[in-house]
Amino acid sequence: MEIIPGVVISFSMVVGLMVKISMVLILVLSLIMIRQESLMDRVVNLPVGKSLKYIVWAFFSLTLLTTVIVVLA
Amino acid sequence: MPEVFKAEKTREESEEIKKLLRESFTGTAFGSCVPRPSKFRFESQQDDETVLLLGRRHFVTNLGWIAAICFAFVIPFFWGEFPFLKALDGNTLVSLTMLWYLGILLFGLQSFLMWFYNVYIITDERLIDVDFMGLLNKTVNVAQLARVEDVNYTQSGFLASMFNYGNVIVQTASEQKTPDSFKGGSAFTFEAVAYPDKVTSMISQLTEEVEKTWR
Repeated sequence: MEIIPGVVISFSMVVGLMVKISMVLILVLSLIMIRQESLMDRVVNLPVGKSLKYIVWAFFSLTLLTTVIVVLA
Repeated sequence: MPEVFKAEKTREESEEIKKLLRESFTGTAFGSCVPRPSKFRFESQQDDETVLLLGRRHFVTNLGWIAAICFAFVIPFFWGEFPFLKALDGNTLVSLTMLWYLGILLFGLQSFLMWFYNVYIITDERLIDVDFMGLLNKTVNVAQLARVEDVNYTQSGFLASMFNYGNVIVQTASEQKTPDSFKGGSAFTFEAVAYPDKVTSMISQLTEEVEKTWR
């Protein structure tokens, strides 16, 4: 399909772009989750809250790494 | 201003309450009914306030999202069965798979946090219901034990009967409507708590003791 002359837009390209946008959205959501977890821990402070904070940060790091890989690929 | 008089806390837990806490509830930090949780504080807790019970929804209520995650986990193994996915090149398919699993992780983590931090707290002075709805909304309902008028519980369904959990409905004298008010009264509900009968007994016992103190 050639909407722009010289550029072929394939189904893979469209899906790939949507996947990249979705990854960025998940990255933003993971950032929100970090903030929300710290707020939750402030309201209901349990000893295991620190471990949960590490888990949420680990998820954010994984998401960041994956997003960078996918976006730059 | 200098303190003229400071009343010392004279009301201790009765033997009935101690017995209820000792015999009826057991739990770890991830349990659904934790008596006297150690190293636990909540936002508006006063210095002389003792937390008697920390409750949350029974773990069985998480089976729905756990099953959904288990099912979603195996779907990428069958990507080849979907015709429109066959048209994708290798890189895009790998990216889609990574996105899928990240989404599953996000969903699981969010569901767990919602279950873990939506708690019910019974102290020697009041009842607190902390509800986090989504990632950006929170509601905290507080009722003084002296204003509790009625406590009931309901238990319906196969899982609820098998695992002994149900809803504890606390009716208060407050005119303020809470999000889970019903029948025009002011009430808040501890949803799907374990041992609803014991929780109801405990709240009734605490309200009786508070009434005796004020007479």
